[in-house]
Amino acid sequence: MRASRHSLLRNFWLLGVYAFLYFPILVVVFYSFNDTKFSLVWQGATLNWYTTLWQDSNLWLALLHSLILGFFASLVAVIIGSFAAMNLYWYRFRGRQLLYGLIFILIVTPDLVLGISLLILFSLVGLDLGFWSLLLAHVTFCIPFVVITVYSRLVDFDSHLFEAARDLGASEVTIFRKVMFPLALPAIIVGLLLSFTLSIDDVVVSYFVAGPEYEILPLKIFSMAKLGVRPELNALCSVVFVITVCIVMASHFILRKKS
Amino acid sequence: MHRHGFSFYLKEKIVIRMFMLFLILFTSAAFSEEENIVNVYSWATDLPNEVVQAFEKETGIKVNRSGYGSNEEMYAKLRAVGTSSYDVIEPTSYYVARMASEGMLESLDVTKLSNYKNLTPSFLKPPYDPSGTHGIPYFWGLTGIFVNRKYFPDAKITGWADLWKPEYKGKLLILDDPRELFSAALILLGYSPNDSDLKQVQAAYERLTQLLPNIKLFNSSAVVSIVGDEDATIGMIWNYNFREAAAYNKNLEFIFPKEGFVMWVDNFAIPKGAKHLENAYRFLNFILRPDIAKIMSVNNQEAITNKPGRALLPASMRDDPVIYPPEDVLKRGIYQTDISDAALAAYAADWELLKLQ
Repeated sequence: MRASRHSLLRNFWLLGVYAFLYFPILVVVFYSFNDTKFSLVWQGATLNWYTTLWQDSNLWLALLHSLILGFFASLVAVIIGSFAAMNLYWYRFRGRQLLYGLIFILIVTPDLVLGISLLILFSLVGLDLGFWSLLLAHVTFCIPFVVITVYSRLVDFDSHLFEAARDLGASEVTIFRKVMFPLALPAIIVGLLLSFTLSIDDVVVSYFVAGPEYEILPLKIFSMAKLGVRPELNALCSVVFVITVCIVMASHFILRKKS
Repeated sequence: MHRHGFSFYLKEKIVIRMFMLFLILFTSAAFSEEENIVNVYSWATDLPNEVVQAFEKETGIKVNRSGYGSNEEMYAKLRAVGTSSYDVIEPTSYYVARMASEGMLESLDVTKLSNYKNLTPSFLKPPYDPSGTHGIPYFWGLTGIFVNRKYFPDAKITGWADLWKPEYKGKLLILDDPRELFSAALILLGYSPNDSDLKQVQAAYERLTQLLPNIKLFNSSAVVSIVGDEDATIGMIWNYNFREAAAYNKNLEFIFPKEGFVMWVDNFAIPKGAKHLENAYRFLNFILRPDIAKIMSVNNQEAITNKPGRALLPASMRDDPVIYPPEDVLKRGIYQTDISDAALAAYAADWELLKLQ
């Protein structure tokens, strides 16, 4: 009796949490089918906004730019960040804790500070704002997240695993490749996906370092929304949401198959 | 164990190869791009694809577009990255004044623009740009009052003062824009909305505190749906927003306040040191063509300064008295110009106070 009452409460709680999280997104999806340009009152279903969106080459270009940027930023960040995490874990040296702490500071540093300092740096070295400045900026703010994800996974392992490998005569490179890397792989993939998501929806840092020749989607949506949300934006957000769900499901599936 | 190592190697190789491939594709794309471009930074929804494609097809110049949602956003970006990053921008009247005084705009040589003659003469050499060389007036509009006749069939509303009447308690939609609201109050008090006199700002603020009980909400980005869906039934509105709301709600009436009203003009301009100056001129001349101006106007539902362009518009728009008011009404219009930083700061501080109450 008690158990069932508890489970009822628990279910309601969960329902509440999920409703809270997903309701706003469902509203956007709902309105993307509303047959009116401005009204928020339901006027019948239509696919017009998806057709409009399909024909808006400018939005697609921005989305493509964002996807390409996200792909490279997450890839580079994961390569740099994973090696950094394994380094921090493997080698004992003075100041290691300090270095790890510095990573945390980058995570809590406001995006504004990062954006402005990157902009000043880029103008000092004379780098034209565009794809490369965006890529560098995104890699910069993604790396700490990768380091922390990978490092915390490594810390969770029994360090005897690595000692055993060494006892059995494995060189450092072998230990790294055959023990540490496979163990850390799930965390690396998580870091990759996390970086990709961070890169795809960053507005603040990108605002400072974006140039005229490479417009990305979040900045475009941000500017357009200030002038009034148009239904094709709702449609676009719905499409992006569905793509995200697909990616998450795919990665979940891949990871489950692996284990 | 061996197999695992092998597959890892293979994967690693594939990843690296893919990465190299993309890198090559990218650098080649980045460098093979000839410099025949024009970087346009406009209001986010102001430049229809049709216009860009027509320009690219006709001139072979590639248009790089980016957009902004407020003058402040554009101004901050240009301040941060330097004006030479963009070739064409679209500041509103008072920002033309501000940016010109700060040396952020090129002085235009209008003799290079054969289509400049299409502009309505009354828009040339406006108070915000007395020499007429910093911006090309393009879109324009004004701020007035809307009322929903279903809710107030007989209400007599002629000017800003009527918004203070007690019967509109909790009804008003106010534009979420300090300058707009203060302009209305300043005009009502008989002052100029372009004056930087702090005493006048203070007087306007005191008058506005009395308006607070009547305000239902502040908004400027979803005005069309709020007004069209009757979430607010009386208040301030931009005329082009009114047109869009009135298109699906037939109970709406627009009022040009008798005390006067603010008129704004979105100008196209060339920022100082633009790298593709000739292309910028070609772009400006292109959008000054009547047929292109017409497309831009229909896309935005805003009035254009382009005289032959207006003639090409569908009659419902060309003769819409809300979009193109008659001359005697226009006499009450006041162009917005720049005001001092001190006055702007006073607006901002008072605005916060108003919203807190």
